[in-house]
Amino acid sequence: MVSIIPNVKEKTRKQYTGVSRGTRIMKNLTLILPVMVLTLMVICAIFANLSWLGLPQYGLAPHDPNKTAPRDKFLPPAFIEGGKSDYLLGTDKLGRDILSRVIHGARVSLSVSLLAIFITAGVGTMLGIFSGYVGGRVDGFLMRIVDVALSFPGLLLAMLLAVAVGPGFWTVVFALSVLGWAFYARLVRGESLRIRQSDFVAQARVNGASPFRIMLRHIFPNVVNSLIVLMTLQVGMMILSEAALSYIGIGITAPQASWGSMVSDGRAELDRAWWISTFPGVAIGLVVMSGNFLGDWIRDKLDPRLRQV
Amino acid sequence: MSRTILQVEDLHTSFYTRAGEVKAVDGVSFHVDEKETFGLVGESACGKTVTGLSLLRLLPEPAGRIVGGKIILNGRNILELSKKEMRAVRGKEISMILQDPMTSLNPVYTVGNQIAESIKLHQGLRDEKVTDEVISALRLLKIPAPESRIRDYPFQMSGGMRQRVVGAIAMSCRPNLLIADEPTTALDATIQAQYIALFQDIQRTTNVGILFITHDFGVVAKMCHRVGVMYAGRIVETATTSKIFKDPRHPYTVALINSVPRLEEKNKRLFSIEGQPPSLLNLPPGCRFAARCDKVMDKCREQQPPEVDIGDGHLVSCWKVK
Amino acid sequence: MAEVLLEGQNLTKHYPVTKGLLQKTVGWVRAIDGISFTVEQGRTLSLVGESGAGKTTTAKMILLLEKLTSGKILYKGEDLSKFSAARIKSQYRPNVQSVQQNPWSSMNPRMRVRDIVGEPLVVNTKMTKQEIREKVLEILDDVGLKAEHASLYPHEFSGGQRQRIAVARALALNPNMVVLDEPVSALDVSIRAQIMNLLKDLQEQHNLSYLVIAHNLATVRYMSHTVAIMYLGEIVEYGEAEEIFQNPLHPYTKALISASVLVLPEDETEEIQQIILKGEMPSPLNPPPGCRFHTRCNEASAQCSEAVPEMRRVKENHQVKCHHYV
Repeated sequence: MVSIIPNVKEKTRKQYTGVSRGTRIMKNLTLILPVMVLTLMVICAIFANLSWLGLPQYGLAPHDPNKTAPRDKFLPPAFIEGGKSDYLLGTDKLGRDILSRVIHGARVSLSVSLLAIFITAGVGTMLGIFSGYVGGRVDGFLMRIVDVALSFPGLLLAMLLAVAVGPGFWTVVFALSVLGWAFYARLVRGESLRIRQSDFVAQARVNGASPFRIMLRHIFPNVVNSLIVLMTLQVGMMILSEAALSYIGIGITAPQASWGSMVSDGRAELDRAWWISTFPGVAIGLVVMSGNFLGDWIRDKLDPRLRQV
Repeated sequence: MSRTILQVEDLHTSFYTRAGEVKAVDGVSFHVDEKETFGLVGESACGKTVTGLSLLRLLPEPAGRIVGGKIILNGRNILELSKKEMRAVRGKEISMILQDPMTSLNPVYTVGNQIAESIKLHQGLRDEKVTDEVISALRLLKIPAPESRIRDYPFQMSGGMRQRVVGAIAMSCRPNLLIADEPTTALDATIQAQYIALFQDIQRTTNVGILFITHDFGVVAKMCHRVGVMYAGRIVETATTSKIFKDPRHPYTVALINSVPRLEEKNKRLFSIEGQPPSLLNLPPGCRFAARCDKVMDKCREQQPPEVDIGDGHLVSCWKVK
Repeated sequence: MAEVLLEGQNLTKHYPVTKGLLQKTVGWVRAIDGISFTVEQGRTLSLVGESGAGKTTTAKMILLLEKLTSGKILYKGEDLSKFSAARIKSQYRPNVQSVQQNPWSSMNPRMRVRDIVGEPLVVNTKMTKQEIREKVLEILDDVGLKAEHASLYPHEFSGGQRQRIAVARALALNPNMVVLDEPVSALDVSIRAQIMNLLKDLQEQHNLSYLVIAHNLATVRYMSHTVAIMYLGEIVEYGEAEEIFQNPLHPYTKALISASVLVLPEDETEEIQQIILKGEMPSPLNPPPGCRFHTRCNEASAQCSEAVPEMRRVKENHQVKCHHYV
């Protein structure tokens, strides 16, 4: 086997690094597509209509999502025989435009999950850093709470909440947050524990830095990487959870549109009007997948060991 | 004249990274004889470890490639062997000891198991025979009570003992050539002295040739017969150990030896080489040491100096040396 | 004789070994067992020994990163345990700084050099941002770095330059004393000399006291005025550096010196014969009775395994803990 000593001139760098054209394009696609999907969804959520400018009649959604039109009910999508070009993705059993409802649903579904992510990440990070830094009994105690939170059936808690305070936007946010922080707390606590033992923290203590300063200036910036990765991956989790809650009827209430409640609405009509559930379902799938791809990509980018070559 | 086990001729190894081609080893030639310890000395990133890995053809693929030269082991060029043939060579004809005894043993297997692995692979022996071989390997490394030690796990042993076990694995098939990459660096001074004495003993009984990679001149003085001093991917000077210490010719060798603090002398200001080695991505056209050299001439910056034999196998690459 | 800055009296550190759910203490690791030393103003004391000897634990006790089990640390003659927390923060911490062994881990990778070197000033002084900026540039210049280095991150530097940054940080508060934990052992040979020369220059300029932790005797000899050889939690030999290197008494010191001398095999004579010790350092969980070194000693006699030797003063500037020197 002489090929181990190839002729340097004939070979290009890419052939040496062993990364073929195909894999590089695939690698880039797994970044570009998720970013495009997520950007599109965010634009939909913001510009569904311009009610926040006092102009509810303008926006991306072609129709009012809640306006019923009994004459146009169960219309199939425009590209299928019997569809109307006015209703691109068809209508539901009350004649509401599916496209408009998916666009408006993005607003509800994304804001619920982003809010929940920021609350859980914030609380979890603070508790995690504190627990890891202080250690000892405080740490033991906090981590047992985390264990309980992680083993508690989330759906049951959400149902209890829905019964107690009634379903709605804030109930969903609360239900998603009340247990979700534990993931962050556990992850960040581990990192914090590791960083606390590092030389530069010892050095900061020698310099007389206060515990608060050490946690803020030395530990926090070093857990941000893992935090961002987890948050991105959680986008998908949260959207799915919101969908699940709305699907079983304890989440976002009618007539407000969220993707989960739309899937739920179309459940009974699946045999004759498959489009009612399918399009919001596709939206959920796209966002979840994009979140996961993006999370993986960010993790690879932030990990110096994977950054080389 | 003893037999030459390994002859490396004009070896070039490069890493292809996003930033460009890193010429980690750029035209290195040396040889190792039977019963001989050849030291490869240099600072970090001078290419000494990459040279060692190239000999085993264990470079991190696909970034690292051997791009030129010959590695002749026991009379044949191992760069022409297939991957399968190469696997038969590793462990049997060449083996390697890595720097850190804490990570080079697998924590979930017993010491005996790990030594037996290579013996089974290369010698195809039956079980009881394997145990005999394992015990004899442990005995070779002077590990006390080998019969009971083979059932120990690595965590039950001290750092020095673990490094001996690593040595026993490397020596288990009685290779002709042993590559030792900083095997003593992680050890304490008195343990280091034991380890070196041990290897001198092993060499006497097994005739193994040792390629000893290190940055520590103290260890070189005790352990090596001949030395090659590496700088930025090239060997700048090769000579017997005593010549290197008593009559170094290359300005880098001189500077390096002078910058080692000696226990015997005191209070003189330490000699230091200012500056940093050049980036391997962007090497100067002339001598690589030119930018830090105190005897630099115009020629040094323009042309690579050739390797000159000044007698008795003392090779120097410097324009000042005739 | 120079003024005594810091004194350790009979320092002891034992770690409990716990077992089971209730964390019952089943034994003690005797990491440090009754060591005493003094650090004088403007001079260097080196603690030398192999891993597990207790050097780093000693350094951590002095930096107040570990609590003492017993014993006293005197700073300018006053007992540190009597200092209030505020006084520790205002008087002790700023004056006793440290440089760590590993320049790759001793800096927060997310901070710029300017913030790393300036941190002690931010934490301990009321200087304005502008003043801190100027002071940082001044110190960087002292350690041989340039102003443009200030806005870079640690990973953009080589090991030697990083160690310079670490030294700069330690000097930011104009301390009296710096604890140097293996300051050059992670560096390349040619860079080591640069850093050691720098440390010596800074000592002269600022009249600094150093406590050096090291395992390499040659480094120690170049750096120190006083040397303490440690073995298994004890100081076995203590005295003026020159005296100890010229006239080592303890068998362990002799072995260490023999392991560090740079001699070619053909130059070995009767005098500089290699001493190779048997075995390895026993566990501090269960130190041997009598002299702790007797299990490896080439000169051990019967009494060594029975009676614990006392620290004895053999000369004005030389103490040793061995039965053979009475």
